[in-house]
Amino acid sequence: MTPGASHLYAHLPFCASRCGYCAFVVEVGALDRRDAYAAALRAELAAESGRLGPLETVYLGGGTPTLMRPHRLRGLLEDLAPRLAPGAEVSIEANPETVDGDQLRELRALGITRVSLGAQSFQPHLLAALDRAATPAQVRRAVACAQDAGFASVSVDLLFGVPGQTPQDLEADLAAVTGLGVDHVSWYELEIKPGTALERMGAEPPDEDRAADAYERVVEGLEAAGFRWYETANFARPGHECRHSLAYWSAADYLGIGVGAVSTAGGVRWRNAAGVDRYIAALDAGEAPRRETETLDADTRRRERWMLGLRVDRDLDIGWAGAPDHPEALERLEAGGLVRRSGSRIALTRRGRFIQNAVLQELMEYAS
Amino acid sequence: MTRVEQELIRNFSIIAHIDHGKSTLADRILQLTGAISEREMRDQVLDSMDLERERGITIKAQAVRVFYTARDGKTYQLNLIDTPGHVDFSYEVSRSLAACEGALLVVDASQGIEAQTLANVYLAIEGDLALIPVLNKIDLPAADPELHGGAVAELIGDDPDHVLRISAKTGEGVADVLEAIVEHIPPPSGDRDAAPRALIFDSVYDQYRGVVAFVRVVDGEFRKGDRLLAMQTGREVDAEEIGVMSPRMTPTGSLAAGESGYMVTGLKSVGDLKVGDTLTLAKRPAPEALAGYREVKPMVFCGLFPVDSDDYPDLRDALEKLSLNDASLQWEPETSQALGFGFRCGFLGLLHMDIVRERLEREYDLELLATTPNVEYEVTTTAGEELGVRSPADLPPATNVESIREPYVRCTILVPSDGVGAVMQLCQERRGSYVTMTPIEQRQQIVYDLPLAEIVTDYYDQLKSRTRGYASLDYEVVGYRESPLVKLDVLLAGEPVDALSMIVHKDMAYGRGKALVERLQKTIPRQMFEVPIQAAIGGRIIARETVKARRKDVLAKCYGGDISRKRKLLEKQKEGKKRMKQVGSIEVPQEAFLSVLTLGNDQQSNGKGK
Repeated sequence: MTPGASHLYAHLPFCASRCGYCAFVVEVGALDRRDAYAAALRAELAAESGRLGPLETVYLGGGTPTLMRPHRLRGLLEDLAPRLAPGAEVSIEANPETVDGDQLRELRALGITRVSLGAQSFQPHLLAALDRAATPAQVRRAVACAQDAGFASVSVDLLFGVPGQTPQDLEADLAAVTGLGVDHVSWYELEIKPGTALERMGAEPPDEDRAADAYERVVEGLEAAGFRWYETANFARPGHECRHSLAYWSAADYLGIGVGAVSTAGGVRWRNAAGVDRYIAALDAGEAPRRETETLDADTRRRERWMLGLRVDRDLDIGWAGAPDHPEALERLEAGGLVRRSGSRIALTRRGRFIQNAVLQELMEYAS
Repeated sequence: MTRVEQELIRNFSIIAHIDHGKSTLADRILQLTGAISEREMRDQVLDSMDLERERGITIKAQAVRVFYTARDGKTYQLNLIDTPGHVDFSYEVSRSLAACEGALLVVDASQGIEAQTLANVYLAIEGDLALIPVLNKIDLPAADPELHGGAVAELIGDDPDHVLRISAKTGEGVADVLEAIVEHIPPPSGDRDAAPRALIFDSVYDQYRGVVAFVRVVDGEFRKGDRLLAMQTGREVDAEEIGVMSPRMTPTGSLAAGESGYMVTGLKSVGDLKVGDTLTLAKRPAPEALAGYREVKPMVFCGLFPVDSDDYPDLRDALEKLSLNDASLQWEPETSQALGFGFRCGFLGLLHMDIVRERLEREYDLELLATTPNVEYEVTTTAGEELGVRSPADLPPATNVESIREPYVRCTILVPSDGVGAVMQLCQERRGSYVTMTPIEQRQQIVYDLPLAEIVTDYYDQLKSRTRGYASLDYEVVGYRESPLVKLDVLLAGEPVDALSMIVHKDMAYGRGKALVERLQKTIPRQMFEVPIQAAIGGRIIARETVKARRKDVLAKCYGGDISRKRKLLEKQKEGKKRMKQVGSIEVPQEAFLSVLTLGNDQQSNGKGK
C-alpha cells in the first residue's frame, strides 16, 4: 500500500472570457453553475479522500479561481483544513481585475497562504494582444492588496515571446516586476497552441535567437534582483519556492480534482474529462467523473523523472531517477559544458538549462 | 485459330514527345478497333504500372494486338508496340522500333517537334521504317498546323499534304490514321517456313508465371510447349504459354512470322532472358541470330541507404525483386562511414533513379536516403592500373592518380531563336563544347558536347527555367574524355563525410564547394554545439560555414500536473529526429545529402505536365 498523496490540485475552470493564448480547460459564460460545481468538487474530494495522506500542499488553479468568490470556496477549504499538515502551503491563482483587498483578506482568513497573480505583462499593448482584461494599474493594486492581506508568498506570472514584444518592452516588464517586492515570479515563454485565437490569427513565435535573447534577459534580470532561477520558468526569493510545483518536478504522487484535473498515484495517471455539466451530473449521481487512465510503466516513470528532475536547479540523483537510456552521452555532454557530474549526482549547467530538451533527447529514448 | 497472312499484318509504334498525346492516341485506337469497350476504357491503358499512369510516362515497351477492317474490306492485324518517351529510356525506343516496319510520328500541333522526337525520328529512319506524320491536338486554340505540319513534312522528306491532322482527344481523324497504317506501312516479310527466330524486345517478371518475354517473331512459327533456345546465352526453356496482348494477355497457342506477342517461360529472373537475344527452337535452331541491341549500361550512380539501419535486409530483398523486372538496374553493397550499410545503384538516368527510389519507398514501404548522383569515371593510377570509379569515395588520393576520364554526351537542344543565348551560356557554364547549330522550323537546333556529370545535377531544370520552358533536350553518350577532375570533400565538425564527397572539375571546385557549404548551413538545423562545415580539396579548406549552436530548447509550463503532455511533446520531437541521419554527433536531415543536386535551383523532376 503506497502512502497517501501529500499534494492536491483543484481545478476551478470558470472565466469571464477566454484569453487569446489560452488552451486550458476553462468554462466561459457558465457562472450560474459555480455553486453546483463547488458542491461537486467537495463530493469528488470526499470520494477520493482515501488516496490522501496529510497534505503538504494544495493548489487552486484555473480558469479564474477568484471568480468563485471566497464564499464558494469556503466549504472546500473547510473540508481540507483537517487534512493539512502543519505549515502546509495553500496556493490560489488570481486574476488581478477580479480581486480587491476585502476578498484577498477573506481568502487569507480561509487558510490560503500563497497567491499567484496572472499579470502576463505590464505593457498595455501586450495585454491587449493577449486579451487580458486587467490594466497595469490593476495588477499593481492587486499585488499591493495581496501583500497587505498577509500572504506568506505573493507570486506574479509573466510571459515573454508575445507577438509585438520588443526588447524594450521586456526591460520595462523586468523593471516593473522587480519593483513590486513580490517573492516569486513565474515567467513563461508564450506557446502558440493549436485552437487558440492567437494561432488562428497566424501569430508566429519569435525565432530561436530572439526567444533566447529574451529568455536569457529574464533570467539575468531576475537574478540581479535577488531571485533564484530554481526551475525552468520559475524564480523565487529564498524560502519562497512553490512547494506544490516542486512536488510535480520531483515526480511525487498528487491528486487532482475538478474538470480536466490530472492525478498521478501508484504508477497510474488519470485525467478527468472536460465539461462542467457532465462533471456535476456524475458527482450528483454519486459516480466518478469520466476519466482517461494511463498506466505508467517503469521506463516511462524513469524517463519522466529525468524530464522533470532536470528542470530544477537541484542535483538529480541517478540512484533515485534510474539510469539514463544512453549513459555514454553523459561524458560528451559533460565535456561540452552542458552537464555537471559528481558521483551519482548530475545537474545541468547554466547553458544546459537553456537547451534541456536537447540534452534530454541525448540521454533518454522518448518514444511513443 | 486461322493464321493471318503476313500481307494482313502491320507492326508499328508511335514516336512522340512526352505530353504530345501518344497514350491518348493509343487508347483511341484500342477503342476504335473494339479491343476495349467504352466501359473498360480507362485513360492510358497501355501505361499499366501505377507509377507510369501517375507520372504520365511510359517506362516499359509493350505490344498490343488489335484487328481493323479497312476501307478495302479486308481485316488487318495491327500490332502496336509502345515506346517510352523519356531520354533515360531511349534504348527502349530503339528496341521497340526494331520490332516494327513503321511508326506514327505524332507531334503536338501547338508545340511542334521536340528534341526527343527528333532523335527518335533519326532512329526510325536509320531502321528503314515507314513514317506516318500525324499532327495531334488540332482542336487546341494554339494549334498551328500549317507551320508545324510543314516542318514535320520537311523533316521526313514528305509532302505537307500527307501530314494527318487529328485530335486523339475528340477522336477526329483517328480512323484516317488506321487507314494510313494499312496503306503506307509494309507488311512483315519473314519466312514462315524457315527455322523460327524471334527477337526479345522486352521481358517482365510475373510472380505467378515467372519471366514473360515480349517478342517479335521474324521467321517460322512458335507453338506452346516448344523447347526454346536463347541463342546468345544458350539457355533452354519451355514455352509454357504463347499469346498476344489485346490489350490483356490472351493465349493463342502460337505466334508466326510477322506477329508480336508474349511467351511465358517460368524463369525466375529477367536476367535469364536477355532483351535483344534471339529465341529459336532447341530441336531446330536457326543458323544465325538476329541483330540484337547493345548492352544497356547504367549511366548514373547513387548510394541508397535505409534511414533505419534495421531495414538493410529489406532493402536488399526489395532490390532483388525490382531487378527481376528491370535488367538495367544494377546494385552492389556499399558501406559509408556516415550512412552505414547500403547499396551503390546504377541507373539509366535521373528519371530511372527517381522511379526506382519511389517504387522502393512506395511498394516496399522503405524510407531511403539517396546520395548525390554521379557518373562512372575511368581512372588511370600512377601505377598504371585502370579503375572504374562509381563513387567519389572510391577515387584514389590525388597523388596516386595519373589521369581521370569522364563520360561525355552529345546534347541536342531545340529552342526558339530568342533562347539561343541562354542555352549557349548554360552549356558554356557546364563545360560544354559547341558542335553545331541548325535552324528547324522557327527554332534552332543547338548541339553541344557536355560531360554527363554536368547533366545529372540540375541541368535540365536550368535549361527549362532559362528558356521559360521552351527548350527540349535529348542526349546520347559519345564516349570518355580526359578532364582535370578533383575530389571535393565535405567536413562536418572536422570529420570528412564520405556521403557528401563529389568529383568536380578543378576550375569549378571553389564555386561548388562554397555553394555546397552554404546550402548545407541552411539545411542542417542548429545543433547542441557549434558545427563547422568545410569544403576541402586534398587537405586544403576552400570554404567554410558554421551551424550555430542551439540556444533555447525547453518545454514551457508544466501545468496542473499535466506531465503526460510534456512527455508526448518530447516523443514528438524525437519522431522529428528520426527523419535525420546521425553523422557522428550531428543530426543531418536527409535533404542535405541531395543538396548538391539543387545547387542554384530546385530539384530536377521529369515527366508529363512539367
